[in-house]
Amino acid sequence: MRIGEIIETMSTGFVAESFELNRPPALGSLVVAHVPANALPVPTAMELYAVVTYGRTVGLDPSRRAVRRSTDNVFDQEIYQEHPELQRTLRTEFGASLVGFITDGLIRQHLPSQPPPLHFSVQTASVEGVRRFTDRLQYLRLLLPAQATSGHGAGGSQVSLLQVLAANVRQVYEQRGKDRAWLDTAAREIATLLKSDHEALLTVLYAIEPVDSHAPSDAGEAA
Amino acid sequence: MSRKTLGAVVDGTFSGGLTVRLNPGTSTEQLRIGNFVVVEGQRNLYFSLISDIHLKATDPRLLADPPRHTSPFIARTLAGTTTYATVEVNPMLMLVKPDDSLLAERAGVEPVRTIPMHFAKLREATELDFATVFGKEGGANFAMGTPLAMDIPICLKLDRFVERSNGIFGQSGTGKSFLARLILSGVIKTKVAVNLIFDMHDEYSFDKQTEDGHFVKGLRQIFGASKVLIYSLDEKMGRREGRNVDVTLKIGLNQIEEADIVLLSEELNLRQTAEATIGLLRDEFRDKWLLELLEMTADDLNGFCQRSGAHPASMASLQRNLKRLRRQEYVVHKATFDTLDDMVGALDRGKNVILQFGRHNSVLDYVLVSNLVTRRVRHKYEEKTRRFEETREVAEEPRPLMITIEEAHKFLNPAVARQTTFGTIAREMRKYNVTLLVIDQRPSSIDAEVMSQLGTRVSGKLTEERDIDSVLTGVGNRSALRSALASLDTRQQVLIMGHAVPMPIMMRTREYDESFYTAMGSQAAAARDRQMDIRDLFGDG
Repeated sequence: MRIGEIIETMSTGFVAESFELNRPPALGSLVVAHVPANALPVPTAMELYAVVTYGRTVGLDPSRRAVRRSTDNVFDQEIYQEHPELQRTLRTEFGASLVGFITDGLIRQHLPSQPPPLHFSVQTASVEGVRRFTDRLQYLRLLLPAQATSGHGAGGSQVSLLQVLAANVRQVYEQRGKDRAWLDTAAREIATLLKSDHEALLTVLYAIEPVDSHAPSDAGEAA
Repeated sequence: MSRKTLGAVVDGTFSGGLTVRLNPGTSTEQLRIGNFVVVEGQRNLYFSLISDIHLKATDPRLLADPPRHTSPFIARTLAGTTTYATVEVNPMLMLVKPDDSLLAERAGVEPVRTIPMHFAKLREATELDFATVFGKEGGANFAMGTPLAMDIPICLKLDRFVERSNGIFGQSGTGKSFLARLILSGVIKTKVAVNLIFDMHDEYSFDKQTEDGHFVKGLRQIFGASKVLIYSLDEKMGRREGRNVDVTLKIGLNQIEEADIVLLSEELNLRQTAEATIGLLRDEFRDKWLLELLEMTADDLNGFCQRSGAHPASMASLQRNLKRLRRQEYVVHKATFDTLDDMVGALDRGKNVILQFGRHNSVLDYVLVSNLVTRRVRHKYEEKTRRFEETREVAEEPRPLMITIEEAHKFLNPAVARQTTFGTIAREMRKYNVTLLVIDQRPSSIDAEVMSQLGTRVSGKLTEERDIDSVLTGVGNRSALRSALASLDTRQQVLIMGHAVPMPIMMRTREYDESFYTAMGSQAAAARDRQMDIRDLFGDG
């Protein structure tokens, strides 16, 4: 499903404008940009996978801040009905970090040689695509070193990459049908990546811990 | 070789051993200090012992603030990733890896001369590994026990065992006498040596109640009168039903020598001057000095003091103290060495001799008689060896003899070890085919020189630092073994190291029960060749 169009692009990721106002794709979810052969100086078609790192909704003119629209009687959703022009004067955009690509049927979990072309479509990743791509976990590494250069794109993202990482694991866990074995493996992988920063690790672990994990008769223990 | 991989080598030195990081799935609680493990290098297998276990964390901040109230999910994630364990292993032997195609053809193990590279795998030892290192049961290989967590025999090479003097150590209650019985049974069965056992507490010949209440058989009951002769100091012992004593031993005052007395100075309350006084007596009466002294009246004493310049008070006290010897029931005025020489003859015909002390089991009796008997045995063996060296006939070769003594520190403590026959045997009697099996609970009180001569040491649990040090005298990799010794269970677990095993190993000793008696009774092929059997049957001719 097409959900947006790339409006800024770079080797590490892109910014896309969402087709639906106020509805960027979920934080941490995987999105895909399909690049046909020869659209870029590469001979084969590529599916570029990226993880959503932030979403935001702002006015069209970056120099002008949105103004208050609500009154005592009109607020929340009703504002949009009262002011249909908002659909045209506001826009929702999201940023995504590239984490890998599929070419010739092979999954590569590193940055592609070229950023995706501007104005190309961004799609949600299919369940099958997510499953295939996340069978390997090396892509998690690309989310971490990016921490140093966080905030690419206009306006940038203030979302902590640890939270993005955690959000991604949560999303994939759900999309894989609450696969506990995968979650445990991913948690261990993250523990290995963050081995020298215990606090950061705990931040992620607390954020990805499944809700039933504290249940008294812990079924996960046996897994 | 599908045994579980425990971890990978990450660090190490040749001299200090290897550091292995455990795999996330491996718990330290699966491992024990002293466990026998195998490191698989690219070319060689390294048979190793675990010497230490460390807990580590990748981020020191974790240690300062361990997560509390964490869920199982987090705990499970941290375990083995940011918190992990390493073990120190000491390679003891190595083996060139066989080609996969020729699995059966395993070359011999050799001493370690190198170490493996990074990420060599550490795994549990398999039965094949144990068999490769410790050999298979049979011949002179005697199954002593099993690894702590496995059910395959670990063998002691008894032919090598009897080549040197050996020691059995352990705190009281760790089963030293059971161990001794196991080993003695093995030696008797495989005929690698004959035994002379000084049995202070009547533990070896007949059945004996164990600490948990049931009775276990003695050596005489397992091997029968054709192989085990019982000598006793106690006449009453012989009259008990079903406990036949073959010979009752008497000691003559004429057989007691100056050295025996000096050895007993503590038990007899002798003063510093006693040795000098005895010297004066010997000057005058030669070999009969003890008889003469004990017969002296007060006037005789005075006369002697005036003649020789001895101090009257020390003379009187010496006489008083030595009269204690005469009061011992088994001491007679005069005895010949015939009984003892017969005993040596029996040993020579392949019989094993147990000397029971019965009621006479004070230290005085034990030290006096053991030392005296052993001196005679040693004398005879030296004679025989000399004869053999002249004739070079196989039949003349003295049969290897192992002398078992308990409370060994009484004979081998630093103060007397140089004077007693036992000290001499421990140090140099290997040449004459006589060795000792020393049983003691305080190895630290045994002379260091004697300890260093011991070939094989079998030790139960020891906790006293000095005892541990002394048992490990002259053994490599002491730090590893030190923690292994202290971690043994008090029952049925021992550490064996030295000449008769290729590498130090902890084991659970074999059960001493019906199946053991059966195994010992079955007439398996003996290690010694047929010529020896013929000699057993027909004597020396």
